[in-house]
Amino acid sequence: MATRDSRSRSGRKADQEFVSEAEEILERMREDYADLDDQRAAGGDVDPDLINRMFRSAHSLKALAGMFGLESIQDLAHHLEDILDGLRLGRVPMDSPCVGLIDEAIHTFANLLESVGNEEALAAFNEPVEDLASRIAASAKAAAESGDELQSLDIDEALLRALTEYEEHRLRENIRRGRHIMLVGSTFEIMSFDEGLSELSDAIRAIGEVLSTLPAPGETPESQIRFSLLVASDLDLMELTAALDFPDADVQSVREGAATADVAPAPSKVEPAPQTPASSEQESLRSISETVRVDIRKLDELMNLVGELVIQRASIGEIAARLISQHESAQVGVELSKIHKSLDRKLKGIQSAVLEVRMVPMRQVFDKVSRVVRALRRDLQKDVRLEVSGADTELDKLIVEELVDPLMHIVRNAIDHGIEAVDERVAAGKDAQGCIEINAFQRGNHVVIAVRDDGKGIDRSALFAKAESLGLVSADTELSDREILNLVFSPGLSTQSEVSETSGRGVGMDVVRENVMALGGAVEVESISGRGTTISMTLPITLAIIQSLIVVVGEHRFAIPINSVHETLLIDTSEIQRSEGREILNLRGDALLLRSLSDEFELGVLRDSEKQFAVIVGVGEQRIGLLVDRLDGQQDTVIKPIQGPVKNVRGFAGATELGDQDAVLVVDISSLVDDTLSRKESA
Amino acid sequence: MSEVTTPSEEVRGWDALARAAANRGDSSESLDEIRQLLSFELAGAPYAVPVERVREIVRMRPVTPVPRMPEEVRGVISLRGEMIELIDLRRRLSLGSIEPDRRTRIIVIKADDDEVVGLLVDAVREVLRVSDEAIQPATGSDTGAVSELCKFRDEFVSMIELDRVLSLDV
Repeated sequence: MATRDSRSRSGRKADQEFVSEAEEILERMREDYADLDDQRAAGGDVDPDLINRMFRSAHSLKALAGMFGLESIQDLAHHLEDILDGLRLGRVPMDSPCVGLIDEAIHTFANLLESVGNEEALAAFNEPVEDLASRIAASAKAAAESGDELQSLDIDEALLRALTEYEEHRLRENIRRGRHIMLVGSTFEIMSFDEGLSELSDAIRAIGEVLSTLPAPGETPESQIRFSLLVASDLDLMELTAALDFPDADVQSVREGAATADVAPAPSKVEPAPQTPASSEQESLRSISETVRVDIRKLDELMNLVGELVIQRASIGEIAARLISQHESAQVGVELSKIHKSLDRKLKGIQSAVLEVRMVPMRQVFDKVSRVVRALRRDLQKDVRLEVSGADTELDKLIVEELVDPLMHIVRNAIDHGIEAVDERVAAGKDAQGCIEINAFQRGNHVVIAVRDDGKGIDRSALFAKAESLGLVSADTELSDREILNLVFSPGLSTQSEVSETSGRGVGMDVVRENVMALGGAVEVESISGRGTTISMTLPITLAIIQSLIVVVGEHRFAIPINSVHETLLIDTSEIQRSEGREILNLRGDALLLRSLSDEFELGVLRDSEKQFAVIVGVGEQRIGLLVDRLDGQQDTVIKPIQGPVKNVRGFAGATELGDQDAVLVVDISSLVDDTLSRKESA
Repeated sequence: MSEVTTPSEEVRGWDALARAAANRGDSSESLDEIRQLLSFELAGAPYAVPVERVREIVRMRPVTPVPRMPEEVRGVISLRGEMIELIDLRRRLSLGSIEPDRRTRIIVIKADDDEVVGLLVDAVREVLRVSDEAIQPATGSDTGAVSELCKFRDEFVSMIELDRVLSLDV
């Protein structure tokens, strides 16, 4: 399961983690800023939620940068947070020049993120960041100091002081929009005031905005309570009093609005008063915890626990069956069996819920790829466009993480070696602009990610010649087209960069294949000369709990992940044919290579019966048949890595516990299929 | 200057052993560094590992052989769901292998990478508290698995060089 040690440096991992999180946040901010800009340009109200959301993004970015000790980013995020907080609370007007600084800050973040992991490059940003930060601070201060329209209100100052910062902002905002500000007072019976108050509030919301609801001082009988509602509306005092069909309410004007003749009341657009918390401090704390970040290891632990429960559930089922089979305990057995069934349903629910949490859309990875494509387009001076589909396809977070490098590699190869120079393309009668398509889709329990380019395709003879010069094949080796193409995955080819110039492919493709196989997946390559190349990765959706087929060879039991099993056949050993020492089965007209698990793992188990089971396995397009003595049913299995000094034993993906203390090895089908297909003669 | 717990085959839990060792009067000790060792038996001779490397001691349990592993690795055991390689310490030290019996124990050792590994030994003896004076270098160890000897009760205990013993990767 482990990827190559040399590649997993924890520092780089941490940086990557930060960058991917930060980029997500930044992407959201970009979108929000674009909306903000549109709304400002249209001259309309800016949606307060939008500002709140951007504020939260800046806050998250600040917290994230703090966690990873990236001070310059943290500092800049802090200043950005200041502007947005100012906008949110109305201290900074929407038309202030400092709004433009948000855009500049977003750009600066993007530049900073590209330099994460490179101390020198980051340090180079110190000065521009400080400069921007001080401009933000100055601008925000100037904006906040410009005039206080609240002084002009005909209202008790004690009441103004009681407003929360947010309420004050909404008040300013409404003054700026030229609305009428009024104070609606009403007295309610203490016993039923909440009903009455909410009726009044609803009535006002239909024609305006309730800015604040405050208990009002004044002389009231003991059984009554008086409230004042600070209200903003496009209707003036007379119109509002008339519209508000509320006999007990008295309305007084606090501030005359602008001329309202052509402004129709638009209740649906009016901001409802927020559920006002005791202070704005609390409000901002609360709004940030919209999502929870969870260490994937905690999810793993949870998953393991669920896995163990699932296994124990099976033994409850067995006990129930045993009880039922005995006459005197049959009744108890039936009851237990019912409970078992209900437990089963609930466990499945938990299991899929936990799995669900681990799933993330491919979009994150694709966004990164598109950035790489932009950068490469520049560096390599190639005209390429990227088309992405299936970005919503979901995969286990762990798999997505491990997928980034291989995918980048494939895309880079496609641009570097696949797509031709413009003049070459035009000469070949192709569109001058090259195209790379990435397509992700689900196929059964797997997700397929295919990268297709419309470049020159793989030059078979150059590839073969190179492989020959490296001693991987000899000149007289007869290889099928597929076998020739698969040479791109040979380790030797990848280590020499000049190979790629002649073969068109090959840099690091062995590493790609190794990484994908470590995840229990497969890589395949198709290429049409002159038309382009497609590289497809097939990956399991999750690594957490999987169904396994238990097979028996002699006294040994092995688990085979069910998503790699295509079918199982009971065959007579007389049906097995031989070719060059390899065993072959005629499977509906196709020759299927067979491999005995006993031979593969040198178990020394002799075939003692004429009947064998062939388990047809494969990932992607390749198939082989594994010969085993017996099948022992399907089980839910949690694959655990094997701990100890001997790492990465080829052929096994880990082990799983079946029943009490019984470890069963889980066969790594990818490597087994690979070994079997590449083996020239059987041992 | 070495001390010994009450020799007892019946001490079950690792906790009991450790507590017994910890409760010994410290006041009488010299200022020398005191080491705690877990001693065990292989082919009738005493060996020891540092206590701080021991996570737990468990009885023999089903072992699943793993093809393609070096022969010193008996296979994989499941310890509360963890899958752990079991190293036959006799085979590792070229002492020949025996069938497990009722005294056989698995010492679960903490490796340096957060993982654990099982060591199969003939029997677990006791926890020793020894001062540095009692320890002397071992010479002529063929496998490099024993680097020091610790003398107590007129007997030499071979101290296992765990990092050497656990490097099996090929």
